Amino acid sequence: MPHDVTVSGRRGFHEDTAAIVVGGLLVALALAVGWNARPTENAGSRKAFPKGWPNPLAATIDKPQTWDDSPTQSLSDKKGKPVTVPILLGMAWVVGVLAGGTALRGRSVPSVLPGAAALALLGGLAYLLAAQKLVNHYNLEYPLWALLVGLLIGNTVGVPRWLAPALQGEFLIKAGLVVFGAEVLFSRLLELGLPGLLTSWVVTPLVLVATYWFGVYRMKIPSKSLCMVISADMSVCGVSAAIATGAACKAKKEELSLAIGLSLVFTVAMMVAMPPFIQWAGIDPIVGGAWLGGTIDATGAVVAAGEMLGKELDDKRPAEVAATVKMIQNSMIGIIAFAVAVYWAGWVETGSRGPRTSLAAEAWDRFPKFILGFVATSVVCSFLFTRSPENSLWVDGATLGFTSRLRGWLFCVGFVCMGIQTVFRELAPYLASGRPLLLYVLGQCLNLALSLAMASLTFGWLFRKVVER
Amino acid sequence: MIHPRLAGPLRLAACVGIVALTWLVVLPRVGRLPPIARHVRAMEKAEVNPAAMVYTELERLPLRPDWAHEQIMLWP
Repeated sequence: MPHDVTVSGRRGFHEDTAAIVVGGLLVALALAVGWNARPTENAGSRKAFPKGWPNPLAATIDKPQTWDDSPTQSLSDKKGKPVTVPILLGMAWVVGVLAGGTALRGRSVPSVLPGAAALALLGGLAYLLAAQKLVNHYNLEYPLWALLVGLLIGNTVGVPRWLAPALQGEFLIKAGLVVFGAEVLFSRLLELGLPGLLTSWVVTPLVLVATYWFGVYRMKIPSKSLCMVISADMSVCGVSAAIATGAACKAKKEELSLAIGLSLVFTVAMMVAMPPFIQWAGIDPIVGGAWLGGTIDATGAVVAAGEMLGKELDDKRPAEVAATVKMIQNSMIGIIAFAVAVYWAGWVETGSRGPRTSLAAEAWDRFPKFILGFVATSVVCSFLFTRSPENSLWVDGATLGFTSRLRGWLFCVGFVCMGIQTVFRELAPYLASGRPLLLYVLGQCLNLALSLAMASLTFGWLFRKVVER
Repeated sequence: MIHPRLAGPLRLAACVGIVALTWLVVLPRVGRLPPIARHVRAMEKAEVNPAAMVYTELERLPLRPDWAHEQIMLWP
């Protein structure tokens, strides 16, 4: 296990190792609590438990709910049940994760607590901004508002001394990714059979590699990590892919912020524009659904666009196909993040090698180890998921009830930290050159063309009869 | 002339004011415009969570369509 020696001289785990330990323990806790509370009847029935076995930990975490004109509406869910306590407990989980990570890294825990509590409150504020009904329905996700909250604080009043020790955005995002691994199930890759695999597995990597290559070697964008993050969030699945690949290629905070901003702006535009275009162009609804799933970045926006298309045609299939193609892309994040980390460690970050150091040892030194935790939780949960119907409901209960909400809080507070540490001036050169925007647009054009061609080939021609039956 | 120590907090207060005005007044009003209100109602009726980052945040998990079972059989 790699270790760091802290300023105080105490030995502690490396940040990546601490993220793996904390994230892994949280996933294990969710599974253990879920197993302990397993139902005695109909334990294998998806009809009885559509979102998996109820997990008692679900009562310990939630986020502000959608509100229209008064933020107080965010404190109760759709059924009128108050969620104030679960929201406060969600913040407490973040403080606990920060405290645990700090302890594992051999640093002073009490010095982190006031800042951690303040950051958790700011995360709650970011969630509140994202939960406004209009913002929510146009898919302007919480990372954008978390970055905004952080940027406002960091660029006006600066960083108070008591807050500084808790600003561990990278640790929170790494721990969040390890927890996120539990949701990235390999079995989901087969949900749409061969047409789904072809649409996702051929087009997505092709667009990712082509966009990255074009940005680095044709447009000569100096930062390779910026090209990679833009390529991944545009070709795979938006913000979540940007977070995973950004951490894998050690992208700068400013680069990740820019990529997320670009992705969210284009997501809104595509969500609104694509369904009427598909109808106008007379594209087959199933092909159109697959096209939406393969091109719009964010999952929620894909489903919304699929519903819009289906509503006009009175057909549920576009939304089904769109959501499932996007789910397959979601499930690719682990593999893509792992591949990016290997490529970065082996071919991009090539430093001066010592005389006795092998290339493999050097690459291993640079490899972001937390990716192994991300892949490990994904493999373990995928394995459990496929064992039996009961196990699939067990895993779903743990992930939908607890780990997905916790991961959301960790990402949200991680982005608040990143926003606080980002200086507006450092974003200016990226914005002024316009090249990242152009790269996104060109990559998305390629994505639109290839996805439509592959969706037409698979859903519209090769497997048409089976799909229609 | 503003004291340098007050400049930061004043800037923050101004930003908070703008955000509060936007979220509490502007966005609710925009949300009541007929085409936008129709879109929001349609999404709510269909139980769509348009803000979902990944599929686990959707109101309903995407279910494998019946025909997909046959497709998997085609996979060698």
